[in-house]
Amino acid sequence: MATLQVEHLNKTFPAIERRSRSTTAIGDLSFEIGGHVFVTVVGPSGCGKSTLLNILSGIEEPTGGRVSVSEGERQARLGYVFQEPRLLPWRTVMQNMLYVIEGSPAEARDRATRYLRMVGLPDAGDQFPSQLSGGMQQRVGIARAFSVEPDLLLMDEPFSHLDAITARGLREQLQEIWVQTKKTVLFVTHDITEAVQLSNRVLMLAPGGRLYADVPIDLPHPRRASDTEVAMAQAELLRQFETMQKEVDAARATEIAS
Amino acid sequence: MSQAVVTRSGSERPLGSIGRLLRSDQLARLASYLFLLVVWQLVALYEDRFPGPAEVFRFLWIEVTGGRHGGIVRGEFLEPFAATLPRFALGIAISMVLGVVTGVVIGGSKFAEALFRDTLLVLVALPAIIWAFLTQMWMGLGDDAVVITTFLSAFPFVAVNVVQGIQAVPRDLLRMSRSYHVSRYRRWRHMLIPAVTGYLFAGLRFAVIVGWNAVLLGEWFSASDGVGWRSRYWYDANRYQGFVAWVILFIAFIVLLDRLVLVRLQRRAFRWRDAQLTAVERQAEEIDIGVKGA
Repeated sequence: MATLQVEHLNKTFPAIERRSRSTTAIGDLSFEIGGHVFVTVVGPSGCGKSTLLNILSGIEEPTGGRVSVSEGERQARLGYVFQEPRLLPWRTVMQNMLYVIEGSPAEARDRATRYLRMVGLPDAGDQFPSQLSGGMQQRVGIARAFSVEPDLLLMDEPFSHLDAITARGLREQLQEIWVQTKKTVLFVTHDITEAVQLSNRVLMLAPGGRLYADVPIDLPHPRRASDTEVAMAQAELLRQFETMQKEVDAARATEIAS
Repeated sequence: MSQAVVTRSGSERPLGSIGRLLRSDQLARLASYLFLLVVWQLVALYEDRFPGPAEVFRFLWIEVTGGRHGGIVRGEFLEPFAATLPRFALGIAISMVLGVVTGVVIGGSKFAEALFRDTLLVLVALPAIIWAFLTQMWMGLGDDAVVITTFLSAFPFVAVNVVQGIQAVPRDLLRMSRSYHVSRYRRWRHMLIPAVTGYLFAGLRFAVIVGWNAVLLGEWFSASDGVGWRSRYWYDANRYQGFVAWVILFIAFIVLLDRLVLVRLQRRAFRWRDAQLTAVERQAEEIDIGVKGA
Protein backbone atom coordinates (compact mmCIF):
# COMPACT_ATOMS: atom_id res chain seq x y z
CA MET A 1 0.00 0.00 0.00
CA ALA A 2 1.68 3.06 -1.27
CA THR A 3 1.23 6.76 -0.86
CA LEU A 4 0.86 8.76 -4.02
CA GLN A 5 1.42 12.49 -3.69
CA VAL A 6 0.68 14.90 -6.49
CA GLU A 7 1.71 18.46 -5.67
CA HIS A 8 0.94 21.48 -7.84
CA LEU A 9 1.37 19.41 -10.95
CA ASN A 10 1.47 21.30 -14.24
CA LYS A 11 1.86 20.13 -17.79
CA THR A 12 1.68 22.33 -20.84
CA PHE A 13 2.32 21.19 -24.38
CA PRO A 14 4.08 23.73 -26.58
CA ALA A 15 2.29 25.02 -29.65
CA ILE A 16 2.69 22.69 -32.58
CA GLU A 17 2.37 25.38 -35.25
CA ARG A 18 3.48 28.96 -35.00
CA ARG A 19 -0.05 30.38 -34.96
CA SER A 20 -1.58 27.98 -32.45
CA ARG A 21 -1.41 28.42 -28.68
CA SER A 22 0.20 26.07 -26.21
CA THR A 23 -2.27 23.82 -24.43
CA THR A 24 -2.52 23.20 -20.73
CA ALA A 25 -3.21 19.54 -20.06
CA ILE A 26 -2.83 19.70 -16.30
CA GLY A 27 -3.12 22.92 -14.26
CA ASP A 28 -2.02 23.05 -10.64
CA LEU A 29 -3.30 19.62 -9.67
CA SER A 30 -2.78 18.43 -6.11
CA PHE A 31 -4.08 15.35 -4.33
CA GLU A 32 -2.85 12.55 -2.16
CA ILE A 33 -3.98 8.96 -1.95
CA GLY A 34 -2.73 6.13 0.18
CA GLY A 35 -3.68 2.87 1.79
CA HIS A 36 -6.14 0.29 0.60
CA VAL A 37 -8.22 2.59 -1.57
CA PHE A 38 -9.66 2.48 -5.05
CA VAL A 39 -9.50 6.00 -6.43
CA THR A 40 -10.96 6.97 -9.76
CA VAL A 41 -10.10 9.99 -11.84
CA VAL A 42 -13.00 11.00 -14.09
CA GLY A 43 -13.40 13.83 -16.50
CA PRO A 44 -14.35 14.68 -20.05
CA SER A 45 -11.84 13.86 -22.77
CA GLY A 46 -9.06 16.42 -22.89
CA CYS A 47 -8.97 16.98 -19.14
CA GLY A 48 -5.50 15.54 -18.82
CA LYS A 49 -6.32 12.06 -17.54
CA SER A 50 -3.95 10.25 -19.87
CA THR A 51 -1.26 12.88 -19.36
CA LEU A 52 -1.49 12.32 -15.61
CA LEU A 53 -0.95 8.59 -16.08
CA ASN A 54 1.92 9.18 -18.51
CA ILE A 55 3.63 11.38 -15.93
CA LEU A 56 3.06 8.80 -13.20
CA SER A 57 4.52 6.03 -15.34
CA GLY A 58 7.52 8.15 -16.36
CA ILE A 59 6.70 8.35 -20.06
CA GLU A 60 6.32 12.13 -19.82
CA GLU A 61 8.00 14.80 -17.71
CA PRO A 62 5.86 17.37 -15.85
CA THR A 63 6.32 21.06 -16.67
CA GLY A 64 6.03 21.97 -13.00
CA GLY A 65 5.23 20.51 -9.60
CA ARG A 66 6.05 17.00 -8.55
CA VAL A 67 4.65 13.52 -8.14
CA SER A 68 5.99 10.94 -5.78
CA VAL A 69 5.03 7.39 -5.03
CA SER A 70 6.48 6.07 -1.83
CA GLU A 71 6.28 2.78 -0.05
CA GLY A 72 7.98 3.25 3.29
CA GLU A 73 11.66 3.74 2.55
CA ARG A 74 11.91 1.97 -0.77
CA GLN A 75 10.89 2.89 -4.30
CA ALA A 76 7.29 1.82 -4.91
CA ARG A 77 6.48 -0.76 -7.56
CA LEU A 78 3.83 0.13 -10.13
CA GLY A 79 1.51 -2.05 -12.15
CA TYR A 80 -0.29 -0.97 -15.31
CA VAL A 81 -3.45 -1.93 -17.13
CA PHE A 82 -3.82 -0.16 -20.46
CA GLN A 83 -6.78 0.56 -22.70
CA GLU A 84 -5.70 -2.28 -24.95
CA PRO A 85 -4.30 -5.53 -23.55
CA ARG A 86 -0.78 -4.81 -24.92
CA LEU A 87 0.29 -8.44 -24.87
CA LEU A 88 3.20 -9.76 -26.94
CA PRO A 89 1.30 -11.50 -29.76
CA TRP A 90 4.13 -13.95 -30.47
CA ARG A 91 4.38 -15.21 -26.89
CA THR A 92 1.95 -17.40 -24.98
CA VAL A 93 -0.11 -16.06 -22.10
CA MET A 94 2.29 -17.63 -19.59
CA GLN A 95 5.33 -16.16 -21.36
CA ASN A 96 3.61 -12.78 -21.36
CA MET A 97 3.20 -13.02 -17.60
CA LEU A 98 6.80 -14.11 -17.06
CA TYR A 99 7.97 -11.22 -19.26
CA VAL A 100 7.26 -8.71 -16.46
CA ILE A 101 7.70 -10.82 -13.31
CA GLU A 102 11.09 -10.83 -11.66
CA GLY A 103 12.49 -13.41 -9.28
CA SER A 104 13.40 -17.07 -9.55
CA PRO A 105 11.75 -18.98 -12.41
CA ALA A 106 9.77 -21.29 -10.13
CA GLU A 107 8.50 -18.44 -8.02
CA ALA A 108 7.62 -16.35 -11.07
CA ARG A 109 5.70 -19.23 -12.58
CA ASP A 110 3.86 -19.77 -9.31
CA ARG A 111 2.86 -16.18 -9.17
CA ALA A 112 1.75 -16.08 -12.80
CA THR A 113 -0.40 -19.17 -12.27
CA ARG A 114 -1.93 -17.69 -9.14
CA TYR A 115 -3.01 -14.46 -10.80
CA LEU A 116 -4.23 -16.16 -13.96
CA ARG A 117 -6.44 -18.27 -11.72
CA MET A 118 -7.62 -15.13 -9.97
CA VAL A 119 -8.88 -13.62 -13.23
CA GLY A 120 -10.55 -16.91 -14.12
CA LEU A 121 -8.09 -18.07 -16.76
CA PRO A 122 -6.30 -20.98 -15.05
CA ASP A 123 -5.87 -22.95 -18.29
CA ALA A 124 -4.97 -20.16 -20.72
CA GLY A 125 -1.22 -20.27 -20.06
CA ASP A 126 -0.29 -22.16 -23.20
CA GLN A 127 -2.50 -20.18 -25.54
CA PHE A 128 -1.45 -17.29 -27.71
CA PRO A 129 -3.27 -13.96 -27.17
CA SER A 130 -4.85 -14.20 -30.61
CA GLN A 131 -6.68 -17.33 -29.47
CA LEU A 132 -8.45 -15.42 -26.70
CA SER A 133 -11.41 -13.05 -26.89
CA GLY A 134 -10.87 -9.32 -26.27
CA GLY A 135 -12.25 -9.64 -22.75
CA MET A 136 -9.98 -12.58 -21.95
CA GLN A 137 -6.96 -10.70 -23.28
CA GLN A 138 -7.80 -7.76 -21.05
CA ARG A 139 -8.08 -10.16 -18.10
CA VAL A 140 -4.57 -11.39 -18.87
CA GLY A 141 -3.52 -7.72 -18.84
CA ILE A 142 -5.10 -7.34 -15.40
CA ALA A 143 -3.48 -10.54 -14.12
CA ARG A 144 -0.14 -9.28 -15.41
CA ALA A 145 -0.55 -5.97 -13.57
CA PHE A 146 -1.37 -7.69 -10.27
CA SER A 147 1.37 -10.30 -10.73
CA VAL A 148 4.16 -7.76 -10.25
CA GLU A 149 2.60 -7.24 -6.79
CA PRO A 150 2.48 -3.48 -7.27
CA ASP A 151 2.24 -0.98 -4.46
CA LEU A 152 0.21 1.22 -6.78
CA LEU A 153 -1.85 -0.05 -9.68
CA LEU A 154 -2.57 2.37 -12.52
CA MET A 155 -5.49 1.55 -14.78
CA ASP A 156 -6.17 3.58 -17.92
CA GLU A 157 -9.77 3.07 -19.09
CA PRO A 158 -9.21 -0.68 -19.19
CA PHE A 159 -12.79 -1.56 -20.15
CA SER A 160 -13.48 1.16 -22.68
CA HIS A 161 -12.72 -1.02 -25.71
CA LEU A 162 -14.90 -3.91 -24.57
CA ASP A 163 -18.56 -4.58 -25.18
CA ALA A 164 -20.96 -3.60 -22.38
CA ILE A 165 -21.65 -7.11 -21.13
CA THR A 166 -17.99 -8.15 -21.01
CA ALA A 167 -17.08 -4.87 -19.31
CA ARG A 168 -19.76 -5.39 -16.68
CA GLY A 169 -18.43 -8.85 -15.84
CA LEU A 170 -14.87 -7.58 -15.60
CA ARG A 171 -15.87 -4.72 -13.29
CA GLU A 172 -17.31 -7.22 -10.83
CA GLN A 173 -14.25 -9.44 -11.11
CA LEU A 174 -11.91 -6.50 -10.60
CA GLN A 175 -13.68 -5.59 -7.36
CA GLU A 176 -13.29 -9.15 -6.06
CA ILE A 177 -9.58 -9.16 -6.85
CA TRP A 178 -9.15 -5.74 -5.30
CA VAL A 179 -10.89 -6.85 -2.08
CA GLN A 180 -8.60 -9.90 -1.94
CA THR A 181 -5.32 -8.19 -2.74
CA LYS A 182 -5.70 -4.86 -0.94
CA LYS A 183 -3.79 -2.78 -3.47
CA THR A 184 -3.85 0.96 -3.94
CA VAL A 185 -5.53 1.58 -7.28
CA LEU A 186 -5.70 4.70 -9.40
CA PHE A 187 -8.29 4.11 -12.08
CA VAL A 188 -8.87 6.55 -14.92
CA THR A 189 -12.12 6.65 -16.86
CA HIS A 190 -14.53 8.98 -18.60
CA ASP A 191 -17.48 6.86 -17.46
CA ILE A 192 -18.99 8.26 -14.27
CA THR A 193 -21.22 5.28 -13.57
CA GLU A 194 -18.17 3.03 -13.77
CA ALA A 195 -16.28 5.33 -11.41
CA VAL A 196 -19.04 5.22 -8.80
CA GLN A 197 -19.45 1.47 -9.00
CA LEU A 198 -15.76 0.77 -8.49
CA SER A 199 -14.22 3.35 -6.24
CA ASN A 200 -13.98 4.69 -2.68
CA ARG A 201 -13.19 8.13 -3.92
CA VAL A 202 -13.79 9.97 -7.15
CA LEU A 203 -11.57 12.82 -8.32
CA MET A 204 -13.40 14.84 -10.93
CA LEU A 205 -11.20 16.81 -13.29
CA ALA A 206 -12.32 19.80 -15.34
CA PRO A 207 -10.87 20.69 -18.75
CA GLY A 208 -7.39 22.12 -18.31
CA GLY A 209 -6.62 19.42 -15.78
CA ARG A 210 -7.71 21.10 -12.58
CA LEU A 211 -9.43 19.30 -9.72
CA TYR A 212 -13.14 20.14 -9.71
CA ALA A 213 -14.48 17.82 -7.03
CA ASP A 214 -13.19 15.18 -4.63
CA VAL A 215 -16.10 12.90 -3.72
CA PRO A 216 -15.97 9.95 -1.30
CA ILE A 217 -18.21 6.96 -2.09
CA ASP A 218 -18.82 5.09 1.16
CA LEU A 219 -20.47 1.89 0.03
CA PRO A 220 -19.28 -1.68 0.67
CA HIS A 221 -17.61 -3.73 -2.08
CA PRO A 222 -18.40 -5.62 -4.21
CA ARG A 223 -21.01 -3.37 -5.73
CA ARG A 224 -23.35 -4.14 -8.56
CA ALA A 225 -24.44 -1.59 -11.12
CA SER A 226 -28.04 -2.49 -10.23
CA ASP A 227 -27.70 -1.64 -6.49
CA THR A 228 -30.01 1.23 -5.50
CA GLU A 229 -27.35 3.03 -3.45
CA VAL A 230 -24.92 2.79 -6.34
CA ALA A 231 -27.54 4.17 -8.73
CA MET A 232 -28.27 7.07 -6.37
CA ALA A 233 -24.60 7.90 -5.96
CA GLN A 234 -24.23 7.77 -9.73
CA ALA A 235 -27.13 10.19 -10.20
CA GLU A 236 -25.62 12.58 -7.67
CA LEU A 237 -22.23 12.54 -9.33
CA LEU A 238 -23.73 12.94 -12.79
CA ARG A 239 -25.49 16.07 -11.50
CA GLN A 240 -22.18 17.49 -10.32
CA PHE A 241 -20.63 16.62 -13.65
CA GLU A 242 -23.39 18.48 -15.53
CA THR A 243 -22.97 21.52 -13.29
CA MET A 244 -19.26 21.49 -14.03
CA GLN A 245 -19.89 21.32 -17.76
CA LYS A 246 -22.31 24.26 -17.58
CA GLU A 247 -19.72 26.31 -15.71
CA VAL A 248 -17.06 25.40 -18.23
CA ASP A 249 -19.33 26.35 -21.14
CA ALA A 250 -20.27 29.65 -19.47
CA ALA A 251 -16.61 30.47 -18.83
CA ARG A 252 -15.77 29.71 -22.43
CA ALA A 253 -18.62 31.92 -23.66
CA THR A 254 -17.41 34.92 -21.63
CA GLU A 255 -13.88 34.30 -22.85
CA ILE A 256 -15.00 34.38 -26.46
CA ALA A 257 -17.15 37.48 -25.84
CA SER A 258 -14.36 39.49 -24.23
CA MET B 1 -45.89 -18.29 -49.05
CA SER B 2 -42.19 -17.98 -49.39
CA GLN B 3 -40.02 -20.73 -48.11
CA ALA B 4 -36.41 -20.34 -47.15
CA VAL B 5 -34.19 -23.05 -48.45
CA VAL B 6 -30.63 -23.11 -47.23
CA THR B 7 -28.14 -25.11 -49.17
CA ARG B 8 -24.43 -25.16 -48.93
CA SER B 9 -23.02 -24.58 -52.35
CA GLY B 10 -20.94 -27.37 -53.75
CA SER B 11 -22.39 -30.05 -51.54
CA GLU B 12 -25.74 -30.75 -53.17
CA ARG B 13 -24.36 -33.73 -54.99
CA PRO B 14 -21.39 -35.75 -53.79
CA LEU B 15 -18.59 -35.65 -56.34
CA GLY B 16 -17.03 -38.87 -57.62
CA SER B 17 -13.29 -39.26 -57.42
CA ILE B 18 -12.91 -38.19 -61.08
CA GLY B 19 -15.08 -35.16 -60.44
CA ARG B 20 -12.90 -34.21 -57.50
CA LEU B 21 -9.75 -34.64 -59.56
CA LEU B 22 -11.13 -32.43 -62.32
CA ARG B 23 -11.80 -29.66 -59.84
CA SER B 24 -8.60 -30.03 -57.88
CA ASP B 25 -5.81 -27.48 -57.61
CA GLN B 26 -3.25 -30.08 -58.65
CA LEU B 27 -4.95 -30.45 -62.00
CA ALA B 28 -5.09 -26.69 -62.46
CA ARG B 29 -1.39 -26.46 -61.77
CA LEU B 30 -0.65 -29.32 -64.12
CA ALA B 31 -2.68 -27.57 -66.82
CA SER B 32 -0.60 -24.42 -66.41
CA TYR B 33 2.63 -26.41 -66.90
CA LEU B 34 1.20 -28.07 -70.01
CA PHE B 35 0.21 -24.70 -71.38
CA LEU B 36 3.76 -23.41 -70.89
CA LEU B 37 5.15 -26.46 -72.69
CA VAL B 38 2.82 -25.84 -75.64
CA VAL B 39 3.84 -22.18 -75.87
CA TRP B 40 7.49 -23.19 -75.67
CA GLN B 41 7.03 -25.74 -78.46
CA LEU B 42 5.26 -23.16 -80.65
CA VAL B 43 8.04 -20.60 -80.17
CA ALA B 44 10.62 -23.27 -81.01
CA LEU B 45 8.76 -24.15 -84.23
CA TYR B 46 8.96 -20.60 -85.53
CA GLU B 47 12.44 -19.78 -84.28
CA ASP B 48 15.16 -22.13 -85.52
CA ARG B 49 17.85 -21.18 -83.05
CA PHE B 50 15.55 -21.65 -80.06
CA PRO B 51 15.55 -25.30 -78.87
CA GLY B 52 12.18 -27.00 -78.28
CA PRO B 53 11.20 -28.98 -75.20
CA ALA B 54 11.89 -32.40 -76.69
CA GLU B 55 15.43 -31.43 -77.69
CA VAL B 56 16.13 -29.89 -74.31
CA PHE B 57 14.82 -32.81 -72.30
CA ARG B 58 16.79 -35.25 -74.46
CA PHE B 59 19.90 -33.22 -73.71
CA LEU B 60 19.01 -33.08 -70.03
CA TRP B 61 18.68 -36.85 -69.98
CA ILE B 62 22.15 -37.39 -71.44
CA GLU B 63 23.59 -34.72 -69.13
CA VAL B 64 22.18 -36.55 -66.14
CA THR B 65 22.79 -40.16 -67.18
CA GLY B 66 26.14 -40.01 -68.99
CA GLY B 67 28.12 -39.33 -72.15
CA ARG B 68 31.13 -37.34 -73.23
CA HIS B 69 31.52 -33.97 -74.87
CA GLY B 70 34.88 -32.46 -75.69
CA GLY B 71 36.80 -32.19 -72.46
CA ILE B 72 33.96 -32.73 -69.99
CA VAL B 73 32.35 -35.83 -68.61
CA ARG B 74 28.59 -35.79 -68.59
CA GLY B 75 26.44 -37.76 -66.18
CA GLU B 76 27.90 -36.09 -63.14
CA PHE B 77 25.42 -33.25 -63.09
CA LEU B 78 25.66 -33.02 -59.31
CA GLU B 79 29.27 -31.91 -59.58
CA PRO B 80 28.50 -28.37 -60.72
CA PHE B 81 25.98 -28.11 -57.86
CA ALA B 82 28.62 -29.33 -55.42
CA ALA B 83 30.89 -26.51 -56.60
CA THR B 84 28.18 -23.86 -56.54
CA LEU B 85 26.44 -24.59 -53.25
CA PRO B 86 29.33 -23.75 -50.87
CA ARG B 87 29.83 -20.41 -52.66
CA PHE B 88 26.10 -19.74 -52.48
CA ALA B 89 25.82 -20.73 -48.82
CA LEU B 90 28.81 -18.64 -47.84
CA GLY B 91 27.50 -15.62 -49.73
CA ILE B 92 24.07 -15.90 -48.11
CA ALA B 93 25.54 -16.46 -44.65
CA ILE B 94 27.64 -13.30 -44.91
CA SER B 95 24.63 -11.36 -46.22
CA MET B 96 22.49 -12.50 -43.30
CA VAL B 97 25.05 -11.59 -40.65
CA LEU B 98 26.03 -8.22 -42.11
CA GLY B 99 22.44 -7.53 -43.20
CA VAL B 100 21.14 -8.00 -39.66
CA VAL B 101 23.93 -5.87 -38.19
CA THR B 102 23.39 -3.08 -40.73
CA GLY B 103 19.63 -3.30 -40.31
CA VAL B 104 19.83 -3.04 -36.53
CA VAL B 105 22.18 -0.06 -36.74
CA ILE B 106 20.06 1.80 -39.29
CA GLY B 107 16.74 0.82 -37.70
CA GLY B 108 17.90 1.78 -34.22
CA SER B 109 19.28 5.23 -34.90
CA LYS B 110 17.82 8.20 -36.75
CA PHE B 111 21.30 9.44 -37.55
CA ALA B 112 22.46 6.15 -39.04
CA GLU B 113 19.26 6.01 -41.04
CA ALA B 114 19.83 9.46 -42.49
CA LEU B 115 23.40 8.47 -43.29
CA PHE B 116 22.88 5.08 -44.92
CA ARG B 117 19.29 4.76 -46.07
CA ASP B 118 19.78 6.08 -49.61
CA THR B 119 22.96 4.07 -50.10
CA LEU B 120 21.02 0.97 -49.15
CA LEU B 121 18.28 1.76 -51.64
CA VAL B 122 20.86 2.20 -54.41
CA LEU B 123 22.32 -1.19 -53.51
CA VAL B 124 18.88 -2.79 -53.67
CA ALA B 125 18.36 -1.33 -57.13
CA LEU B 126 21.74 -2.46 -58.55
CA PRO B 127 21.43 -5.61 -60.67
CA ALA B 128 23.64 -8.58 -59.83
CA ILE B 129 25.32 -8.46 -63.21
CA ILE B 130 27.02 -5.17 -62.29
CA TRP B 131 28.66 -6.89 -59.32
CA ALA B 132 29.55 -9.90 -61.42
CA PHE B 133 31.44 -7.62 -63.85
CA LEU B 134 33.05 -5.51 -61.16
CA THR B 135 34.25 -8.40 -59.01
CA GLN B 136 35.68 -10.12 -62.07
CA MET B 137 37.62 -6.94 -62.84
CA TRP B 138 38.82 -6.57 -59.25
CA MET B 139 39.57 -10.15 -58.34
CA GLY B 140 39.82 -12.07 -61.57
CA LEU B 141 38.82 -15.73 -61.69
CA GLY B 142 38.11 -17.62 -58.50
CA ASP B 143 35.75 -18.26 -55.63
CA ASP B 144 36.19 -14.82 -54.06
CA ALA B 145 34.60 -12.98 -56.94
CA VAL B 146 31.60 -15.34 -56.96
CA VAL B 147 31.03 -15.24 -53.20
CA ILE B 148 31.32 -11.47 -53.10
CA THR B 149 28.93 -11.04 -56.02
CA THR B 150 26.42 -13.19 -54.15
CA PHE B 151 26.92 -11.31 -50.92
CA LEU B 152 26.70 -7.84 -52.47
CA SER B 153 23.52 -8.69 -54.34
CA ALA B 154 21.69 -10.39 -51.46
CA PHE B 155 22.83 -8.31 -48.50
CA PRO B 156 20.78 -5.12 -49.11
CA PHE B 157 17.53 -7.09 -49.15
CA VAL B 158 18.25 -8.51 -45.71
CA ALA B 159 19.24 -5.10 -44.33
CA VAL B 160 16.20 -3.27 -45.75
CA ASN B 161 13.83 -5.84 -44.30
CA VAL B 162 15.46 -5.75 -40.87
CA VAL B 163 15.23 -1.93 -40.85
CA GLN B 164 11.53 -2.14 -41.63
CA GLY B 165 11.01 -4.81 -38.99
CA ILE B 166 12.66 -2.74 -36.28
CA GLN B 167 10.69 0.35 -37.21
CA ALA B 168 7.47 -1.67 -37.14
CA VAL B 169 7.82 -2.82 -33.51
CA PRO B 170 4.51 -1.66 -31.98
CA ARG B 171 4.92 1.50 -29.90
CA ASP B 172 2.36 0.23 -27.39
CA LEU B 173 4.53 -2.76 -26.60
CA LEU B 174 7.63 -0.59 -26.26
CA ARG B 175 5.78 1.61 -23.76
CA MET B 176 4.39 -1.36 -21.88
CA SER B 177 7.90 -2.79 -21.55
CA ARG B 178 9.26 0.52 -20.36
CA SER B 179 6.46 0.96 -17.79
CA TYR B 180 7.20 -2.46 -16.33
CA HIS B 181 10.98 -1.85 -16.37
CA VAL B 182 11.55 -5.02 -18.36
CA SER B 183 15.26 -5.80 -18.67
CA ARG B 184 17.10 -5.15 -21.91
CA TYR B 185 17.76 -8.86 -22.37
CA ARG B 186 14.08 -9.75 -22.08
CA ARG B 187 13.04 -6.89 -24.33
CA TRP B 188 15.36 -8.15 -27.09
CA ARG B 189 14.51 -11.79 -26.64
CA HIS B 190 10.75 -11.56 -26.29
CA MET B 191 9.78 -8.34 -28.06
CA LEU B 192 12.31 -7.06 -30.60
CA ILE B 193 13.62 -10.29 -32.07
CA PRO B 194 10.18 -11.91 -32.54
CA ALA B 195 8.85 -8.66 -34.00
CA VAL B 196 11.64 -8.61 -36.56
CA THR B 197 11.58 -12.35 -37.33
CA GLY B 198 8.83 -12.08 -39.93
CA TYR B 199 10.69 -9.34 -41.76
CA LEU B 200 13.94 -11.29 -41.47
CA PHE B 201 12.30 -14.26 -43.17
CA ALA B 202 11.03 -12.09 -45.97
CA GLY B 203 14.58 -10.77 -46.26
CA LEU B 204 16.04 -14.28 -46.29
CA ARG B 205 13.70 -15.42 -49.05
CA PHE B 206 14.59 -12.41 -51.17
CA ALA B 207 18.27 -12.90 -50.41
CA VAL B 208 18.15 -16.55 -51.45
CA ILE B 209 16.40 -15.83 -54.73
CA VAL B 210 18.55 -12.81 -55.61
CA GLY B 211 21.68 -14.57 -54.35
CA TRP B 212 21.03 -17.64 -56.48
CA ASN B 213 20.85 -15.44 -59.57
CA ALA B 214 24.01 -13.68 -58.48
CA VAL B 215 26.03 -16.84 -57.82
CA LEU B 216 25.27 -18.03 -61.35
CA LEU B 217 26.22 -14.72 -62.91
CA GLY B 218 29.38 -14.70 -60.83
CA GLU B 219 30.27 -18.17 -62.03
CA TRP B 220 29.43 -17.26 -65.60
CA PHE B 221 32.21 -14.66 -65.55
CA SER B 222 34.64 -15.74 -62.85
CA ALA B 223 34.58 -19.52 -62.27
CA SER B 224 35.82 -22.66 -63.95
CA ASP B 225 33.26 -24.99 -62.43
CA GLY B 226 29.75 -24.80 -60.98
CA VAL B 227 26.25 -24.42 -62.35
CA GLY B 228 26.82 -20.99 -63.89
CA TRP B 229 30.03 -22.09 -65.54
CA ARG B 230 28.34 -25.20 -66.96
CA SER B 231 25.54 -23.15 -68.52
CA ARG B 232 28.15 -20.92 -70.09
CA TYR B 233 30.13 -23.92 -71.33
CA TRP B 234 27.17 -25.11 -73.43
CA TYR B 235 26.35 -21.57 -74.48
CA ASP B 236 29.89 -21.03 -75.72
CA ALA B 237 29.77 -24.41 -77.46
CA ASN B 238 26.71 -23.22 -79.38
CA ARG B 239 24.62 -25.97 -77.77
CA TYR B 240 21.61 -23.89 -76.83
CA GLN B 241 19.62 -26.93 -75.72
CA GLY B 242 22.34 -27.49 -73.11
CA PHE B 243 22.12 -23.92 -71.97
CA VAL B 244 18.32 -24.13 -71.60
CA ALA B 245 18.62 -27.52 -69.88
CA TRP B 246 20.81 -25.95 -67.20
CA VAL B 247 18.43 -23.03 -66.86
CA ILE B 248 15.74 -25.58 -66.05
CA LEU B 249 17.92 -27.30 -63.43
CA PHE B 250 18.71 -23.93 -62.00
CA ILE B 251 15.05 -22.92 -61.71
CA ALA B 252 14.07 -26.33 -60.30
CA PHE B 253 16.66 -25.95 -57.56
CA ILE B 254 15.47 -22.55 -56.38
CA VAL B 255 11.80 -23.58 -56.46
CA LEU B 256 12.50 -26.70 -54.41
CA LEU B 257 14.62 -24.79 -51.92
CA ASP B 258 11.92 -22.18 -51.46
CA ARG B 259 9.06 -24.65 -51.12
CA LEU B 260 10.76 -27.33 -49.07
CA VAL B 261 12.90 -25.30 -46.73
CA LEU B 262 12.05 -21.63 -46.54
CA VAL B 263 8.27 -21.81 -46.54
CA ARG B 264 8.37 -24.46 -43.81
CA LEU B 265 10.75 -22.45 -41.66
CA GLN B 266 8.52 -19.45 -42.11
CA ARG B 267 5.43 -21.35 -41.09
CA ARG B 268 7.18 -22.52 -37.94
CA ALA B 269 8.20 -19.00 -37.01
CA PHE B 270 4.64 -17.78 -37.40
CA ARG B 271 2.90 -20.37 -35.25
CA TRP B 272 1.74 -17.59 -32.93
CA ARG B 273 -0.04 -15.83 -35.78
CA ASP B 274 -1.58 -18.89 -37.34
CA ALA B 275 -2.79 -20.39 -34.08
CA GLN B 276 -6.17 -18.71 -34.41
CA LEU B 277 -6.77 -19.68 -38.03
CA THR B 278 -9.52 -22.16 -38.68
CA ALA B 279 -8.76 -25.27 -40.69
CA VAL B 280 -10.43 -23.70 -43.74
CA GLU B 281 -8.40 -20.51 -43.52
CA ARG B 282 -5.18 -22.41 -43.01
CA GLN B 283 -5.84 -24.43 -46.14
CA ALA B 284 -6.62 -21.28 -48.10
CA GLU B 285 -3.40 -19.71 -46.91
CA GLU B 286 -1.35 -22.74 -47.84
CA ILE B 287 -2.73 -22.56 -51.33
CA ASP B 288 -1.83 -18.88 -51.47
CA ILE B 289 1.78 -19.49 -50.58
CA GLY B 290 1.84 -22.69 -52.58
CA VAL B 291 2.98 -25.25 -50.06
CA LYS B 292 0.00 -27.54 -50.39
CA GLY B 293 1.22 -31.02 -51.06
CA ALA B 294 4.86 -29.92 -51.01
